[in-house]
Amino acid sequence: MPTNDALLGMLPEHLLLGGIVAAIVTVLLRMGRTLALPVAVLSVLAAAGAAFWLGAAGTTLEPFPGQFVVTPPVFMTKGMLLLLAVPVLLMSRTEFEDGEFSILLLSSLYGMSLLPSATSALVLFLGLELMSIPVYALIVLAFRRPQCAESALKYLVLSGAASAMFLMGLSLIYGETGSLSVGAFAQSVTASDPLTRTAVVLVVSALFLKGAVVPFHAWAPDTYEGASIPVTAFMATLSKGGVMLVAWRLFDGAELTGPLVGIVAALPLVSIVWGNIAAIRQQSFRRMIAYSSIAHAGYLFYAMLGPSAGRLEAITFYVVVYAAANLLAFAMIPAAASDEERDRLDRLDGLFHRDPLAASLIAVAMLSLAGIPPLPGFTAKFLIFRSVVAAGYSAYAVFGLIGSFLGLYFYLRVIQRMFMSVGEGARTTGNGQALARVAGVLCLLATAVLAIAPGWALARL
Amino acid sequence: MSDAMLLNWVLFLPLLGAVGLLVMPRGSAPTVRMVTVGVMTVQFLMTVALYAHFDPTVSGLQFATSVPWIAEWGVSYAIGMDGLNVLLVLLTGFLGPLVVLGAWTAIERDVTMFHVMVLLLQFAMMGAFVAQDLFLFYVFWEAMLIPMFLIIGIWGGARRSYATIKFVLYTAFGSILMLAALIYLVQALQNAGGVASFAFTDLMQAQLPLDVQIILLAAFALSFAIKVPMVPLHTWLPDAHVEAPTPGSVILAGVLLKMGTYGFIKLGFPLFPDATRVFTPVLMTLSVVSIVYGACLALVQTDIKKIIAYSSISHLGYVMLGLLSLDLVGIQGAIVQMVSHGLVAAGLFLLVGMVYERCHTRELSAYGGLARQIPVYAVFFIIFTLASVGLPTTSGFTGEFMVLLGAFNAAWPQHLDGNQLPLILAVVAVTGVVLGALYMLRFALTFLFGPARAPHAPLNDLSLRERSILAMLVVSIFALGLFPDGALQKTELAAKAFQSRMTSVQVGAHAN
Repeated sequence: MPTNDALLGMLPEHLLLGGIVAAIVTVLLRMGRTLALPVAVLSVLAAAGAAFWLGAAGTTLEPFPGQFVVTPPVFMTKGMLLLLAVPVLLMSRTEFEDGEFSILLLSSLYGMSLLPSATSALVLFLGLELMSIPVYALIVLAFRRPQCAESALKYLVLSGAASAMFLMGLSLIYGETGSLSVGAFAQSVTASDPLTRTAVVLVVSALFLKGAVVPFHAWAPDTYEGASIPVTAFMATLSKGGVMLVAWRLFDGAELTGPLVGIVAALPLVSIVWGNIAAIRQQSFRRMIAYSSIAHAGYLFYAMLGPSAGRLEAITFYVVVYAAANLLAFAMIPAAASDEERDRLDRLDGLFHRDPLAASLIAVAMLSLAGIPPLPGFTAKFLIFRSVVAAGYSAYAVFGLIGSFLGLYFYLRVIQRMFMSVGEGARTTGNGQALARVAGVLCLLATAVLAIAPGWALARL
Repeated sequence: MSDAMLLNWVLFLPLLGAVGLLVMPRGSAPTVRMVTVGVMTVQFLMTVALYAHFDPTVSGLQFATSVPWIAEWGVSYAIGMDGLNVLLVLLTGFLGPLVVLGAWTAIERDVTMFHVMVLLLQFAMMGAFVAQDLFLFYVFWEAMLIPMFLIIGIWGGARRSYATIKFVLYTAFGSILMLAALIYLVQALQNAGGVASFAFTDLMQAQLPLDVQIILLAAFALSFAIKVPMVPLHTWLPDAHVEAPTPGSVILAGVLLKMGTYGFIKLGFPLFPDATRVFTPVLMTLSVVSIVYGACLALVQTDIKKIIAYSSISHLGYVMLGLLSLDLVGIQGAIVQMVSHGLVAAGLFLLVGMVYERCHTRELSAYGGLARQIPVYAVFFIIFTLASVGLPTTSGFTGEFMVLLGAFNAAWPQHLDGNQLPLILAVVAVTGVVLGALYMLRFALTFLFGPARAPHAPLNDLSLRERSILAMLVVSIFALGLFPDGALQKTELAAKAFQSRMTSVQVGAHAN
């Protein structure tokens, strides 16, 4: 094991680990309230900076050959996803005052950061679990609400079931090939013997369950509704991105063929259509975002249909754009007396007249999620649908686009609520609202950069 | 400053203005209006300079800029002017300041927001006209939706919520299919030639089999036909017009509706010439149906805004008919008709808006005898009515006459060959002129003459601001009607190029 590679190749992870330890220390010293958040933000920034620096250097590092290999695009992916954790941390002050949130979030980020560079099934599973487990705790952390226990339990059980299916599938592949490398899985994808096929279907189902794709989606609205705003923001964006990185990792190098195309195209297509239709009827902001995220999981899995070489680029770009828009909306949701009230969609009525900045930024977020140009949500969708067409699945692309058209309605309804209706309610300021606004403005900047110069980001992936 | 640079300024000036309004510290309403009028006027003067410098003897693009934007995909920021968009750029620039002046008293709420939206809309419309790259065009094409959505939705009438969602969903449905088609087109081009490019000039080289062309044109045509709008895809237009505030209606009728016909002449038809020949009978029939059906609907409306909205459907039917005739006179007539309709419909919507501000009702039966109470208004109203009817010396006459002449020119040889459809359609289209005279004169008659009935008499006649807006429009209508030569020269080469592409290319048919 080359020492230098172990140091440099895992530098982002090391910095996150340092941040976790430092944050725990601040909590032990009873300074968690003031110091844990800055420590966490600094360590995330440092980790992202390190990832960008190593990615720009352009060398592939192999700290643990066969287990953990990092290429420059993977470094860039890590850097971009880690940067998106900054707004999540900043908006956490509206709900959480102590340091636990920062510690748990950093732990989850550590797991997520392992995923794109894992080349063995074991590291991949480790990363996936490390990413999910802190989130169960994060959901329960908001114990002011009775639903959050139910919500956490639902997530725990279903996520556990997904992990079991994932492990079962990978074990079958291991039994078949005797190899734990992700390459072995990619090679098995095209095999047609019943055992391998069962294994692939188990793994794909696990990914659909974790990513909330119809018909494995039912947990998402309940869980999102029960969790608090910052935690939902994290689950809907970065956790989902992590799951997509697992999917990319496993299928890297394999072109989808045969009956697998049917599964990987049809369920996400149903997801797009159903997510966008079910979102229309929601009265709760988080439930609406949950259905929207079900639809977005559909677009993301569509990327798997495309040629293998372009998948990481398509997925990362989409996740970054989608997360920036979602976090923007979450950060600007106005404060309220209680969490339930903050979640109600009708509290957005007439927001433009009370708080023009928040209304405008939420509108930008909705338009980006709907995929209206010139906002980057359009460019990201374009990239995915173009790769689907390039792979020869034009019919799926057309149906997917029509499905995305259905989503336009509920995104525009949110804008109508804010700009075109009259609502009462004084302008409320809650805890940490200023920091949340900083988070929103950061996301807006990211969205603007991705809208004006998408080529700049794409060239680096 | 080079002319190419000037075109970039024309494009980005409204965007800069919008950003300026947003960062300007708490501007009072008059300041915001002044700044917007200033920005729009400067932009208009720049388009005049570009129009003057536009060389009618050069075919192809002028004032072109092309720099890579998303290099990996072959997307470039490519803009330029040719004979097809030169008049539309001028029209867009011209209507800009008039829209803002027309909104001076009509918009009282959220003034800054409104003007930001108008400027953004101006930016997107200008961008769609000058874009020479399909990706860029699509971005501008879709970006127009949002400011218009907000303009109708925030400052509109009682049913604005319904109307604005209907407007967006209709147009977005067309666009989403166009998006699928454009992705497929670019991918097909890349598979054939290995070059990823969205530039119009590269896409024109694509040689697609006829069946693919037909599917792709169907998608593009659906999107453009919704925007025109052609019967039976027109139902969003009356709702949008009726609920939109006056400036919204003016922009919608003046510029936005030209997007559809411009899309056809710039992209839809030239990209898929073989498929266009297949579609011509259907599209031509629909154009004539739009002319006659739109006119018939205008005849029975009781809402004054709806009369003009349906008349727009009828008048844009002529544009489509002229384009589809593939006769040089018809094509040029279509371009003139686009500009003419932009000026006349903008004027009529402004007039209707002015009386609505005074009386607050759009019911035709509530009015009568306005000529005696507000004579200056009545004079302007008569002028615009006659221009809409197509009285000689007005621009409406030039456009309609050339279109019908072109349609007959094209139909006669086909008639001799035994194909009766074009001739029948041309004859039916002429009845649209008669119907047009009927509904506009009926409108003017009940509105201006007859027993005096004004909901809130006594009325103030037009103010100096209102008179100058209308006077400028009247001058341009007569200029285009009496001296169309200059405009026709600028568009001639482009019209010829369009005609020769449509009539000579047989590549796809052979490949099939």
